[in-house]
Amino acid sequence: MTEDAFTVFLVDDDADVLKALARLLRASGYDSREFASSKEFLREHDASMPGCAIFDVAMPDLDGLALQQALTAKGIERPVIFLTGRGDIPTSVQAMKAGAVDFLTKPVDADALLVAIDNARERESRDREARAEMDFFTGRLATLTPREREVFGHVISGRLNKQIAYDLGTVEKTIKVHRSRMMEKMGVRSLAELVRLAERAGIEVRRY
Amino acid sequence: MRTSASMFKRALVRLNSDIGKAAFVAIGYFVGAEIAFFVGTLSDKIFAPLWPPNTVLFCALVLTSPKRWWIYILAAFPAHIVVELGVGMGVLQLLVAFITNALFAVVSAAAMRRFVGERPWFRDVRKTWLFVLITALVVPAVVALGGAFVPILGDGSIEDFGLHWTQWFTSNSLGSLALAPIALILLAEPPLPSAPALRTVEALVIGTALVVVCTIAFEVSAGTLESGFLPALLYSPLPLILWSTVRFGASGASGAVLIVSAVLIWRALNGPSLFIASDPETNVFALQAFLIGLAIPVLLLGAAIEETRRAERTTRDSEEQMSFAATSANIGLWQHNLATGDYWATDHCRNMFGLRANSTLNWETVGSVIHPDDRDMLKDTMRAAVRSSVPAECEFRVVLPGEQTRWMTARAHATYDDEGSPAQLSGLVADVTARKTAEHQIELQRRELAHLTRVSVVGELSGAIAHELNQPLTAILANAQASQRMLRKDTPNLPEIGSALDDIVQAGSRASEVISRVRKLLKKGESRYEAVDINELFRSTLNLLHSELISRRITVQLDLADDLPLAVGDPVELQQVLLNLAMNASDAMSSISTHRRRLTLTTRTTKDGFVEGIVSDQGRGVAPDQQGRLFEPFYTTKEHGLGLGLSICSTIINSHGGNLGIVNNKTGGARAIFVLPAHRVMVAAK
Repeated sequence: MTEDAFTVFLVDDDADVLKALARLLRASGYDSREFASSKEFLREHDASMPGCAIFDVAMPDLDGLALQQALTAKGIERPVIFLTGRGDIPTSVQAMKAGAVDFLTKPVDADALLVAIDNARERESRDREARAEMDFFTGRLATLTPREREVFGHVISGRLNKQIAYDLGTVEKTIKVHRSRMMEKMGVRSLAELVRLAERAGIEVRRY
Repeated sequence: MRTSASMFKRALVRLNSDIGKAAFVAIGYFVGAEIAFFVGTLSDKIFAPLWPPNTVLFCALVLTSPKRWWIYILAAFPAHIVVELGVGMGVLQLLVAFITNALFAVVSAAAMRRFVGERPWFRDVRKTWLFVLITALVVPAVVALGGAFVPILGDGSIEDFGLHWTQWFTSNSLGSLALAPIALILLAEPPLPSAPALRTVEALVIGTALVVVCTIAFEVSAGTLESGFLPALLYSPLPLILWSTVRFGASGASGAVLIVSAVLIWRALNGPSLFIASDPETNVFALQAFLIGLAIPVLLLGAAIEETRRAERTTRDSEEQMSFAATSANIGLWQHNLATGDYWATDHCRNMFGLRANSTLNWETVGSVIHPDDRDMLKDTMRAAVRSSVPAECEFRVVLPGEQTRWMTARAHATYDDEGSPAQLSGLVADVTARKTAEHQIELQRRELAHLTRVSVVGELSGAIAHELNQPLTAILANAQASQRMLRKDTPNLPEIGSALDDIVQAGSRASEVISRVRKLLKKGESRYEAVDINELFRSTLNLLHSELISRRITVQLDLADDLPLAVGDPVELQQVLLNLAMNASDAMSSISTHRRRLTLTTRTTKDGFVEGIVSDQGRGVAPDQQGRLFEPFYTTKEHGLGLGLSICSTIINSHGGNLGIVNNKTGGARAIFVLPAHRVMVAAK
């Protein structure tokens, strides 16, 4: 479980808490990076490093929720666990909606924290896999010829070869060739798989 | 004497029309003249030793308004004609005589009016002296210049002008001295409160004795007495005259003068007396000179005695009034003569110290009932009062046997003798127990209210306080669990576990600090005044408010003076003030955008060496209509405010000898400024 590099980014304005949590994480076998303020975190943290973040909710300047939004705005997807002194429901709901992994109340129990970190780690690796799959898909999509790209659009919309040939002003046989070459380039064996990948990539499916 | 006088007076009152009075004056003029002529048979060259008609007219004029004088002068005129024709006087003589008589009365009365003033005339020396000067010296002297011509117009010769002038002068003068004072006193001066019977008897005894002494002493057959004893005989009425004057003042003096004059003249009529010159004119002059010489000092003595007595009475009255007023106001008066060491105090003053009315007063008897802790202070205050011309004041306690302690305030001020050294210390003592009790009660209520609002502030901050406790708890739990995990390893990192334990200890004490701060705020107890570092108070207040301010997204700017002097006060109450001001400032910024929410806390030393603290916000500020009401209890601009915060803050700061104010910032928002006396200032003041 620990063979992959995974860092926990701790942000808390309370030095005592920050130091104690870092010690706990180290004792539990995690790497941690500590930041005494939101600004310091935004300025110094390495977005490319795999890992999750633990934000204190109540911080001066930028509070935890605002920090999460700032990360999202920068296009950084990092699983976030929130710690709060007051477990008030509206704040936790807002945090969870914004994609928080967990919302824990101080004083936080080590086991609960580690479970949350594991969840974050899982989500992180899942996201990473999905991102890799997507990168692969979009890479393939770029290798298609313009004609094949056209055929791809029609195919994921569920149209028949005959309809495609009519639309493109050609014969069904030609479309069959383009289609099989396109499927081959995209590395998929079934139409269902292609549609799923296209949807995940957010490609708009035209309705005819 | 008195009863006949009052009958006389009542008779006058009955004749309450001017005509009636004028008739009365005319009769008086006539009778007086007849008596004078009767006496005048003493010597065929002079009229009489004194001339009553002029005195009658003079008294009438003095007692009436100048507008009506003509009535009395007109009334006297027929009486004059009848009398003078009766002695065979010529018309021209008669007219000149009347003109001089009327002139005497008018000029004397006018001068009395102008220079002597209102009655009473014989009860002070200045007025009496002026009366003598006007009616017995100046006016007779002037008028006699005309009167002297009356005998000359008859069968007299101009060579005798000097003699005639002297006759006119002395007879008018003696009339003014012997008759006018007693007449004016009886007719016009306010009667003394009805005298006790014994005094009336005394007056009668003196009067009778005077008549007897004068009669015996002056009735001496010529040549039967050795001339060596004459002076002693002349002085024989003097003791009685002095007795009468001393006992009865102006009335006694003028009465005695009248009696002596009357008896002496009467005796002179009936044969030889002490005045034993060969010719009657000289005898009459001698008699007149004797009486004038006697009357002037006696009248002045009477006035002087009245004056002294009045002054004594005034002093006694005002002393009594002051003493009464002081007693009514529950104030004791006292004096301490620094030269003799004698003490004097009102009965009420002694009573306040639990002393009997006639007990001995000295520092031992007074000091013994004063609370031992206050004795030195009281002595110091008295010494200070002696040293400076400014009154000194202090409050002290008196412990009366079997009674509770009473609070007193004493005020003393020194008076100085001519050489400028302190002669007397006088002052007052007031019982201020009621005020002290009320003050104590108010102080208790103030504390009670302060405590209640403190509790309510703590309630308001409970979330923030919980958070403040949560932080160290979080650190403790994390450190403890980290240590457990480290210990489970094969080779535990002991130094790391050690520093985790150190951190646990530190966080534990941090948590206990929060608890103790809150406990102090919640505790209700005796106020403990001590030196307080306001900077430290600002910091610890910020610690309490730390998470509250974060959750309100308020940034804090601390601007604390390095060389701030210590203040004096109850740290808990002062912290309450800071908490309240900071919370108010935070509330004021709840509706502005978060990046502008800045709380500025400043301390500095004022020019006069006071400690100043400023809590400034960026809110909307204070509206003009709120300005005057900010410190009123139950006045609030907040939706959920009780309206007690600022009012309590203000009373707390005031009770620390300071001052709290709120003004708007030029750049927006408001700032609360409090000023407290510095520790060294308070020490210096003590």
